[in-house]
Amino acid sequence: MAKLLNVSSSPHVRSSLTTHKIMYQVILSLMPVTIMGIINYGMGALSVILAAVISAVVAEAAFNAIIKKTQTIADGSAALTGLLLALVLPPELPLYIPILGSVFAIVVVKGFFGGLGRNFMNPALAARCFLLISYGAIMTVYKIDGVATATPLVDMAAGETVNLMSLFIGSASGVIGSSVLGLLIGAVMMFAFKVITYEIPVATLVSFTLFMAIFGGQGFDIQALLVHIMGGGILLGAFFMATDYVTSPVTPTGQLVFGAVVGILCGLFRVLGSAADSVSYGIIIANMLVPIIEEYTIPVAYGHRKQKEAAEKTGFSIPKPAITLCVITLIAGAALSGIYAMTKDTIAAAQLAKEQESYKAVCSEAAEFVSDDAIDAKIAELAGGVYGTDFGKAYINKVMVGKNAAGETVGYVISATSGDGFDGDIVMSIGLDLNGVVTGIEFTTISETAGMGMLVKEAAFKDQFVGADVDSFVLNKAGGSTEPEQIDSVSGASISSGAVTNAVNAARDFFAANMK
Amino acid sequence: MKKVTFQGGVHPNDQKQFSRDIPFTVYEPKGDMVYPVSQHIGAPAVPVVKKGDEVLAGQIIAEAGGFVSANIISSCSGKVKAIEKRMVATGTKVQSIVIENDGEFRTIEGIGTEVDYKTLTKEEILAKIKDAGIVGLGGAGFPTHVKLAPKNADAIEYVIANGAECEPYITCDDQLMRGCADELVTGMEIMLSLFPNAEGVVIIEENKPEAIAAMEKACEGHPRVKVLPVQTKYPQGGERSCITVVTGKHLKLGMLPADLGCVVDNVATIYAIYEAVCKSTPLMVKGLTVSGDAVKHPSNFKVRIGTSCAELVEAAGGIKDCVELKKAISGGPMMGFAMANLDVPVQKSNNAITLLGSDAVETAQTQMTACLRCGRCNDACSLGLVPQMMAQAAERKDYDRFENKLYGMECVACGSCTFICPAKRPLMQIFKQTKAEIMAAKRAAQAAKK
Repeated sequence: MAKLLNVSSSPHVRSSLTTHKIMYQVILSLMPVTIMGIINYGMGALSVILAAVISAVVAEAAFNAIIKKTQTIADGSAALTGLLLALVLPPELPLYIPILGSVFAIVVVKGFFGGLGRNFMNPALAARCFLLISYGAIMTVYKIDGVATATPLVDMAAGETVNLMSLFIGSASGVIGSSVLGLLIGAVMMFAFKVITYEIPVATLVSFTLFMAIFGGQGFDIQALLVHIMGGGILLGAFFMATDYVTSPVTPTGQLVFGAVVGILCGLFRVLGSAADSVSYGIIIANMLVPIIEEYTIPVAYGHRKQKEAAEKTGFSIPKPAITLCVITLIAGAALSGIYAMTKDTIAAAQLAKEQESYKAVCSEAAEFVSDDAIDAKIAELAGGVYGTDFGKAYINKVMVGKNAAGETVGYVISATSGDGFDGDIVMSIGLDLNGVVTGIEFTTISETAGMGMLVKEAAFKDQFVGADVDSFVLNKAGGSTEPEQIDSVSGASISSGAVTNAVNAARDFFAANMK
Repeated sequence: MKKVTFQGGVHPNDQKQFSRDIPFTVYEPKGDMVYPVSQHIGAPAVPVVKKGDEVLAGQIIAEAGGFVSANIISSCSGKVKAIEKRMVATGTKVQSIVIENDGEFRTIEGIGTEVDYKTLTKEEILAKIKDAGIVGLGGAGFPTHVKLAPKNADAIEYVIANGAECEPYITCDDQLMRGCADELVTGMEIMLSLFPNAEGVVIIEENKPEAIAAMEKACEGHPRVKVLPVQTKYPQGGERSCITVVTGKHLKLGMLPADLGCVVDNVATIYAIYEAVCKSTPLMVKGLTVSGDAVKHPSNFKVRIGTSCAELVEAAGGIKDCVELKKAISGGPMMGFAMANLDVPVQKSNNAITLLGSDAVETAQTQMTACLRCGRCNDACSLGLVPQMMAQAAERKDYDRFENKLYGMECVACGSCTFICPAKRPLMQIFKQTKAEIMAAKRAAQAAKK
């Protein structure tokens, strides 16, 4: 035995699991939703997926070559990042968008921070947020067969019924990876492969659902909750994004806390922000909290815990994670309610000041604004319902009478709301002179799409209403109007423009009927 | 039914199929016999023979060198050839007594005399165990007479016989339990006679149904001894895991099993106790499995301590043709020591020689990637540690965090985290080294104080 044998420290056997095997298991689990995406959205989806995956792999190879690092494309993580990014992009995009996103994800989010295992944010979601900020107009248009279509969440916000079946199949408007069916099959595969454990997805979905039920504004309405859970990417987020090993805690308790934070943040952003981006932002912000969560959830070694008696082991006990999760959700819910209660008055005061300011802006001759009992009685008759039949979902909130220093009536301000906005209610103050001719428009609540619907706030649009003594205004989607009653729509934002026009018509109609 | 088990652990392929149904072969060695004087935890034994002396099998050739120490018994007859440093399985050279084996195995007088343990006092039993040179045969080699004499014998609630045999490939305890169940139960009764308030529990993994059946049958009529079948999972055979499945409690660093009211001994040790007490036979022969994918005839041997491993491998038919032996392990693949060559003696706590035609460690090194933070190592740790964070702290040399925040010193080096890691990171190896560095720093600080 002259030849010496290999010597190394034990253990001398290893499990068959490797990093690249895990990556391919995840990619395989994403196949159902990917295929559903291609079936539902066609070649547009396929080209986005291919562009994202190929450019991610090429970006990783190039980055490794440039910084002279060992080549890592074989581990499958770059391809996975590319695929995940494609699944959170709308179909039918110009292909430079997915390519740019993949390069950003691989080079900036992952590469610059040290490669696999070192990034502190989910690369795919960070890239999506980067694209949303940089290319808002392109990224928020969800096309099906070349036609821009509102997503189910937008539909629901607009009060329309959402077809749950189309959400389940994924044929509704949305990102490529929005088929609930595909996502659920994938989730089952992830559990079967033991790639993920229950902690993060369950904590995320439970806290999100609770949050939406409490603060979502629709209460425990099952239909509304289902739309929130099935739409807007929370399933993709809970099973495939939040569970990303690198950017989630390694401790089981930490994973529960993290999941709860993700669910609450997603809910918060969905209620207060624009629906489409809530999950992306919720997860990447939670990603940044991971080091703190981990630090406070380091488990105590078994031998250092309080010793249990043997008899206790067999007794009934509620699983500890369940208690932890409930406590976290309750505390977070209580904290949010507390903050809401504390800031409610301040917000109300600010809103009031904003309103006062808008009165002044639309009826500049008046020195003070007072309410009129006769008119208020007329508003009370409306009982908060939709005003009229020709104005969409328009509401008359209140009417203020503008008086000059001498106490003479010089004009009126009508506060009206349109529920037909692209993203939530539009509330505005409309100034009218004694004849009912518009003297100005100001918005007090509006959250339309930046760069598109928001342009109704520009003078170029608003001033079309001022000074025109016509019966009612008509929206002209084509533009280039010549008649005073015609209102040029803001380009690409006919929904927002129409909502404003309807509200103005409603206000003037109310004036003509009750105050003239 | 809920399976009895501990938290954490991993499921390596148990590879018992090679040798599980092969009964013991008695192997009589032909070459020189080598007896290292330090085959146990504690002080080395002191040789009481010199070069040229004639010795008989069963004769004490080195006496315990302190309270925590054990005798060394010759297992053959012949002439002392040398007392010199010899290589052992762990790769170090240890002072050893070399005996030229005359092949006759003549024994000292009195060996094999039957004794009824019930006629003996506790002190006499412990003296017999001590004289027989018995140490923990499961691997650690803690002197058994010390373990069986805790400060408060009345406080011991459980005498645990560890027949888990969770290491892959090894089957000698399985064969022992199948073939010598009655002797083992008598061995348990001997131990229980030292601890009036204790009950005996035999832990056996579920992958050994024959052993479970044999032991359960032998336990009939012995109300103080029962069998506890447990889920097959590594490291069930670890002392801490045994205590946890029986009591639900967990040991921590600095605690002895006796602090939780437990005495844990391997079934092979209990058999040795039986032989020493009832048969007046000191520890000369033990069970040992020669297995692995590279050996021709995987076998379970009754082997004389001191036999050369190379001789045993030949006795098992040698290495298969057209297979290149890559790794020879003293013990099982999870915690055993890789040997540079087979020219080392079988020691008291050796229970297997595992011969592998491929080296998983070599392969793993080519597959190593960055840590993904997947957390599988946390799930695998049977002590509730966070190997992922421990490795991070160790790499940063943040020893305070490693020791105090992450309980790193608790690590028993079972290797589950390294086994399971998909990124193939050598976690346990990092912890072993870090623990050694922390201990060295502590010793240096203590020396500086003096």
